[in-house]
Formats: sequence, C-alpha cells, structure tokens
Amino acid sequence: MAPLELLLELTLMPLVAFLVGMMMVLMMRRIAARIQRRVGPPLFQPLYDIVKLHSKQTQVSHGLIHDIGIVMAMGGYIAAETLLPVPGMNGIAEKGGIITLLYLMMIPSLGLALGVGQCANPNGSIGIARALTAMLAYDIPLVIVIFGVAYAAGTTNLVDIIAQQQAGGFATWGAVQMPLLAVAGLIAMHASLGKQPFEIYIAPAEIATGPMVEMSGKHLGGLFVMQCFQLYTISVLYVSLFLGGGSTWFDFLLKSFLVLAIPASIAYLFPRYRTEDLLRLMWKWPVMLGLIGVAFVL
Amino acid sequence: MSSINQIPVIEAKKGNPLARVFDELVRFCRSRSLFILHYCTGCGAIELPPAMTSRFDMERLGIQPMVSPRQADILLITGYVSIKTLKRVILTYEQMGSPKYVIGICSCTVNGGMYWQSYATAKKLDEYMPVDLYIAGCMPRPEAVIAGLQQLMDSIHAGKANSWEDYYRNYDYYLGNQQKLFGDNWQTPTDVIAEAKHYNLLSKGTLGVHTRLLEQHQQPLEALEMRLGHNLKEPTE
Repeated sequence: MAPLELLLELTLMPLVAFLVGMMMVLMMRRIAARIQRRVGPPLFQPLYDIVKLHSKQTQVSHGLIHDIGIVMAMGGYIAAETLLPVPGMNGIAEKGGIITLLYLMMIPSLGLALGVGQCANPNGSIGIARALTAMLAYDIPLVIVIFGVAYAAGTTNLVDIIAQQQAGGFATWGAVQMPLLAVAGLIAMHASLGKQPFEIYIAPAEIATGPMVEMSGKHLGGLFVMQCFQLYTISVLYVSLFLGGGSTWFDFLLKSFLVLAIPASIAYLFPRYRTEDLLRLMWKWPVMLGLIGVAFVL
Repeated sequence: MSSINQIPVIEAKKGNPLARVFDELVRFCRSRSLFILHYCTGCGAIELPPAMTSRFDMERLGIQPMVSPRQADILLITGYVSIKTLKRVILTYEQMGSPKYVIGICSCTVNGGMYWQSYATAKKLDEYMPVDLYIAGCMPRPEAVIAGLQQLMDSIHAGKANSWEDYYRNYDYYLGNQQKLFGDNWQTPTDVIAEAKHYNLLSKGTLGVHTRLLEQHQQPLEALEMRLGHNLKEPTE
C-alpha cells in the first residue's frame, strides 16, 4: 500500500469514528429520553457540549500528569480506531490484530487513573479504583470470547475474521456459528460501556461521577470526546467479531448502531450493582457461557 | 465640534474575519449546552424534578444536571439561603469555571421572602455574589423556570450574560458584605484577586478596605496531613 494512502486512512479512520461516535452518544441519550417519555436532546447536542467545554474560560489543570492522563485516555482509543477495519479502509488492522487492539483498549482506563490520581479528590480515587475493578471484571469474559472467536477463525487478524464471516453470508456470521460466545460478548460489552447496571464507577448520586469529579473545561471535554470513541470502538469490535463486519457503509453503520441500542435500551431500566455484585456476576455468567462456547469451538 | 476632524471616528478593528464566526459559534454552543448545579436549599427544589423529567424535559434545550461545581455552568439556588448555607454557596460558586451563571429561584433569594424577619437568613443573594437572573414566585412553576432559563440562553447567545466578571471587578463590595455576615476572619480557599489578575479584570472595585482586612487575617492554606483511619488520634480532654 502506498504510504500516502495509508496516511490518509490513518487520519480518516479516527475522524469517521468521532463523527459516528457523536451520533452514538446522541442515540444513547435519545433512547434514555424515549424510555423516560421525554423528547431528548437536539441533533447536535454532543457537538455543542464538546465545543462549549473546550471554550470555557477557566481551565483548571492539576498538573502535567492530569493533562497527560486525558491525552492517554483519548489517544488509546484513537490508536484503537486505526486497528478496526471499516468498509473500504483497513488501516493497519492486518498488521495489528485483535490482541494489540485489546491492549490499546485498556490504555484509556490507565490514563484516566493517572490523570485522576493527580486531582487528589477522594471521590475520584474511589471512582478510579472501581473503574479498574470493573475492568478486571469484564476483561476476563472479553478475553475468553475473543480467544474463542480467534481459535474458530484460526487467526487473530480482524480483516481475515471479517472476510471469513462475509464469505458464506448470514450462515457464517459469528453470532450464528457461536451463539454462546456472542451472548457472553454482549454482556461483557455492556459492562465495558459502563452503563447503568454496571455503572459503578460513574455513580453520580454516590461518588459524584467518580473519575470526572475534578474535571472541568477541556479536560471534561476530552472525556466527552473519549466517550464518543469508546462507544464506536466497542460496538464496531462486536460487529466485526460476530456480525460479519460491514460490506457497505450502510450495512456497517446499521449493525453498529443496532448493537449499541441493545445495552442502551437495557441500561435505563435498571439501577446499579454494587462493586462486588458486579464482579460476582461478570465472573459467573459471561465466563461460564464463554467457557461453554469455547468448549464447543474446540 | 466645528470642524469635521473633531468628530470621533471609531476605527474598525482589523482582524481575522473567521474570528467573528468562531466567536458566534462559541456563544451559540455556550447557550445551547448548559450544565446545572442545583443547590437545593429550600422548597423551590421541588419544582426542578418536573422541569427535568418527562413533563417539561429541560434536556430539549441542552440543559442537564451535573453533580460537581467544576463541571457546571449554572449555579441554581432554589430557596432561602441561611447564613450557614451561604458560606457553602460562596465556596461552590468560587470553584466553578467561568463563564458561570447564577440563577436565584423563589422570592427568598430576591428579598428574603417569608423569612425576611429571620435573623439567620441572608436576604438578598446579589449582595454576596452576582446573580444573572431571578425567577420570582413562591414557588415558580416549572414553566417559569424554563422560561427563565430560555431568557438566560438568549442573553448568553447575545454575549450579555457577563455577570461573573462583576465578581472580579467588584470583589471588594461582595467581600465586604460577606465579612459583615461571617466576621472578619472569613476566607475562602480560592484566591479571587489572583484570578482577577489572570482574567485581566482587576479594576477599581477589586481591591479596597475589605480586601486589606482579608489580607490581615488570611492564613495560608496547607494540605491536610495524610493519615490512615487507624492512626487518627482521639481528641484529648
């Protein structure tokens, strides 16, 4: 591939991810509003929020690590976008593979932990401790699921996995071939979104939004941008693993929005678990389903 | 003005034409995305849940509640402020990031309302911090709250909601009123004068008698000693 073309793809993929991610944020807020019988925010609300937060006059920084933490939180996801193939653009997905992608998806939580650590706010520290515990909880089923899919496909290359699923149409989709892994993956995905039943580290009424408590201005804006990338990364990863990726953009976007609508519709119906309940739940059901699914694959 | 040369001419500022577009965008986004911190002290708080939930839905206008002062744009004070509460309100206000707006809801924030005879109540909120908007009523209906917020949105879009600058410009006045209530030892962790210098808002009213009094009594802030729970000493009699 020509280096110029690769450079263009590496620029375009995060940009597309950001735009689609903003629409996903809007969709989540609209679904929440519909469930609560409200109208919901206008079309460009995520953009307004991000522009406003970056244009605040007071920009409180608690030090260098605070700034770097936010950059790591965003950068981890931006790097992850270049490893996620979209229709027409593969970026460096063929060279990276899923294992690199998994590592990159952990960077934001660690960056956030660094940044919040310097804020020295007890709510933030509790929040980040809970966020890392939650990561421990959902990463184990996620790794089992990804191992199962990669073993079945015989490769960790995401482009190949998508091509194999698209080869035989609907019947070769991961969700049809490995339904147990798909269900376990859906639960792990929901937990990694940090939405309601698993929202232990945001918990506005309890620890005042946890990691975000001391963030203001562009730091909070950075986290809003991170959320756009987070929704995009997780739903596109799921689509690539189980729903055959996308052959066209319409197909691709429809699938990724639909996948995200499932946790979004569940999220606003339930209250929050406690930390130990989340751990128990995540290590019991998705892990059990995942292990049975892997046994079928083996 | 006998000759034409004496007529003052305001020269048009030469600048980046895109800057105006950008300013307009920023003002628009500021007006359409407001995070509220509601400081619910009195009965007016009961009118906020209907304004936020399905009946009136403030999220339509881009207004959503936030939980920490660092994240918020609007400080919504709903009801009477007692002298003890006012200290917390001022601490909260000073931690918020500018541009920040204060809305006083209910007549108690306007003139003390039904507590006007009380010894323990701060009567007028705007003596202690600049208030952008009052929504009077005992209590105002959610429609009135939303109408007030829309008025604030319009004035933010027009670039007129600048009362947060007033706190820096007339800090001496506000500090004086605060000292009258809380005593001469009153100090907050925020260095307002340094912030006024930072925003280039230092003016005649910033420094005065009361800020000099503050400097006399001010004690430097020290970080709390880090301790684990078991090492806490019992207070000795």
